Amino acid sequence: MPELATPSRTTPALHIEGLTYAYPDSSGQALRDVSLSLGAGEFAVLAGRSASGKSTLLRTACGLVPHFHGGEISGTVSVAGIDAIESGPGELASVVGYVAQDPETQVVSTTVAAEIELPLEMRGDSPTSRARAVEEVALALAIPHLLDRTVDTLSGGELQRVALAAALVTRPRLVLLDEPTSQLDPVAGDELIWLLRRLNEEWGVAILLAEHRLERCLAAADRVIAMTTGAIAFDGQRRDFLTWAQDADTALETPAARLFSLAGIEPLPVGVRDARRTLVGPQLGGVASGGGLRSPEAAEGKAPTLLANGPFSRSSAQGKEGAPRRQDPPAVALSSQDLWVELAAHDVLRGVDLAVGRSERVALMGRNGAGKSTLLRTAAGLVEPVRGKIETPGGIALLTQNPSDYLVRERVGDELPSDAGAAALRVVGLEHAVDADPRDLSGGERQRLALAIALAGRMEGDELPSLVALDEPTRGMDRARKNDLVDLIDDLAACGAGVLVATHDVEFAAAFAERVILLGNGDVIADGPAAEMLSGGWYFATEVSRVLDLPGIITPEQGAVVLTEEGE
Amino acid sequence: MRSPFAYTPRPGPLQAASPGAAVAYLGALVAVALLYSNPIVLAAAGGAAIIAGLLAGARDAVRAALRMGVTLALLIVAVNALVVSRGNTVLARLGDWPLLGQVDVTAEAIAAGAVIGLRAAVAMVAFAVYSSCVDPDRVLRALRLIAHRSALTATLVSRLVPVAAADAARLRDAARLRGPGAAPVGRAPLARRLLAGSLDRSVDVAATLELRGYSLPNSSPSRRNALGIHLLPNALHRKFGSRYDARFYAVGATVLIAAVAGKALSADDFITYPAIVVGTSPLTLSLAALVLLSGLAPLRRKPTRRASSPTTPPTQQSVEPSRA
Repeated sequence: MPELATPSRTTPALHIEGLTYAYPDSSGQALRDVSLSLGAGEFAVLAGRSASGKSTLLRTACGLVPHFHGGEISGTVSVAGIDAIESGPGELASVVGYVAQDPETQVVSTTVAAEIELPLEMRGDSPTSRARAVEEVALALAIPHLLDRTVDTLSGGELQRVALAAALVTRPRLVLLDEPTSQLDPVAGDELIWLLRRLNEEWGVAILLAEHRLERCLAAADRVIAMTTGAIAFDGQRRDFLTWAQDADTALETPAARLFSLAGIEPLPVGVRDARRTLVGPQLGGVASGGGLRSPEAAEGKAPTLLANGPFSRSSAQGKEGAPRRQDPPAVALSSQDLWVELAAHDVLRGVDLAVGRSERVALMGRNGAGKSTLLRTAAGLVEPVRGKIETPGGIALLTQNPSDYLVRERVGDELPSDAGAAALRVVGLEHAVDADPRDLSGGERQRLALAIALAGRMEGDELPSLVALDEPTRGMDRARKNDLVDLIDDLAACGAGVLVATHDVEFAAAFAERVILLGNGDVIADGPAAEMLSGGWYFATEVSRVLDLPGIITPEQGAVVLTEEGE
Repeated sequence: MRSPFAYTPRPGPLQAASPGAAVAYLGALVAVALLYSNPIVLAAAGGAAIIAGLLAGARDAVRAALRMGVTLALLIVAVNALVVSRGNTVLARLGDWPLLGQVDVTAEAIAAGAVIGLRAAVAMVAFAVYSSCVDPDRVLRALRLIAHRSALTATLVSRLVPVAAADAARLRDAARLRGPGAAPVGRAPLARRLLAGSLDRSVDVAATLELRGYSLPNSSPSRRNALGIHLLPNALHRKFGSRYDARFYAVGATVLIAAVAGKALSADDFITYPAIVVGTSPLTLSLAALVLLSGLAPLRRKPTRRASSPTTPPTQQSVEPSRA
């Protein structure tokens, strides 16, 4: 009987043995004695906090480390049987594809078709086979309509798909992705993950996906590898990972797993479907009804008890500690009437009417291109409206998507030399870092410093400007850093500033916001309490709300209380 | 916001043509501008470049190039008028100027400056049409096979220019968003920061090129096609070349040969000093007419319906492969 499995299919897609690596001029090791094996056709998620070594591991698997970055390396790395330390990234290009976080720097051609075709051309494929491969990968990724477009006309999501197409066009055995969804809205992010799953199943491509938002990808994966300070801390099945994270690092828990963990329910769920199956199962004694966990009031059409004014809401009438803040309407921090903004001959904002009060914590959400950033930039005076008006009576401090853009000097104190600068540093808790080099600060500290630069001189004494606006502040952040940011936002709001945050991160919005504004096609399509806005939907809803389907229940803590009460 | 000179894929003959054919055609117009001083011929070359751009759908590029070209031409005219005092027709005596001495503005100096400016404007419009209509990926692909390292540099630069422009715009925005209590950002720190950022970006782009296999030695199958040499009627040409190539090569060659012949036969009569004399011989006017007519080369024939083949949509007949 002939051997069915060819050697190439039985060879692991990725095999690493005793890998240790240090970047040039670095005192520490980025990878420490890493050993792992990824079988052909496996889909693994690479979890871990920022700077845990995930990106370095991916760059090693595609040959960029050490060939491009240099440094000292020991151990063995084999991709589909090819020695990745001996061979360079070019030789590995036909067996491994790599997609990085920033799609802007992943395209090198002018048109989409040329970009996808480039690896094949470099490999010396004939024009006929190139044309066919481009067509097929474009069809697989649903982008044939983009082929004749130039890359500078694509959205972030489209660009990420093009980068993925360029990585897949050689039909590689292994695809490595480094936080590919960090710049995508929930819809595009989910689409990308399930696209990967489909390619994994239909094409048999092994996938190693580094991601912070595990709730987005865990359900699609077969296995989880977790890294801590350059070493593999966990390698196993998804459910085992959740159990491990419960004890080892709660920042790696998914919201659904945390919900179950807090409610004392086993086993921990790997996704929404898994959680719902468990909840409608016999172990909860019929707590859940067939259609989800609707409360009796909701089922009867009465006003749900856990809505905006319930005990779990973070309404504007309550402060951080739950103490009453004030009952009268808050002073206006931002108001816009019939605001129209046109960019490149297209209407980006179409008659936006909006008001944000002081001390309000507001999440501004919507798909890529909905107009979130433009609204913030217009409020800050960077863009002129073509009609209507937007006002920030007490001033605005805007932190854009790249905090590093604010840092142009080599000493924190040189960025903020005045008394006003010192006061701003105190507000963000960086008064101790006056003599530090901004490049030596952590990512979170750099973000705080950039905010201090935006705030400096806009405060009267210790009183903040009426509005502090943050544009996508959680890109590439792990959960621990997001929690720090939530605390900072709470502090800013407690000091009297309205905080308006444009974000794609639904879980982050649930953590900090009391109100959510949903933009669609340049206009406000929904505006309400966060508890209401982040439940009941699918894309703009937290994982907990999708599990429980209870109005007003959006965080694991809220859900756990309900489950515990229902269980009793 | 996109530059008006950025390449925009359109289903036109000039866009469908191979880079070699497009360069031959537009290069011939630039050659006329460089060879000739006669304003009638220069104006015809400029008119041809404008017509070609409009027919190719590059209206924004032509408009922007004209704006820049006219500005540059006016600057040249002004400088020439101040620096050159030759000519019989003195329009103004501006007295003694430091460094320049006695400054007399003459009609002849203005005309001479205008001719130089017109020449520059023609070249700018032709380049704008090229930039907007010729796919840079195809040009780089051709260049890669001739000079691999130069192509790598050109690829990096062509990608980094828009990325650096976007970075600069972001940095300027961030500088405007700094609070009044923060240290102001001067040009030097901003330039330093931009340079550092560009270096980081170039490393990322270079890494992407590595991952796409740029370091691999080239293979031969794509060489002839990539070079854009489609004169030989072979299977590759039929599949990936353009039926418009021959037209552009022919028009370019005709214009160039006529221009060289006209130059040899004194069709370029134009004297500026001491008095302006513009040659208007039949040869000059014929050459100008020919050059102007060459602007119609990108004209796209309207698709005709074929009664005998109702299953073929008419639009399909006019669609050219824009990828090679």
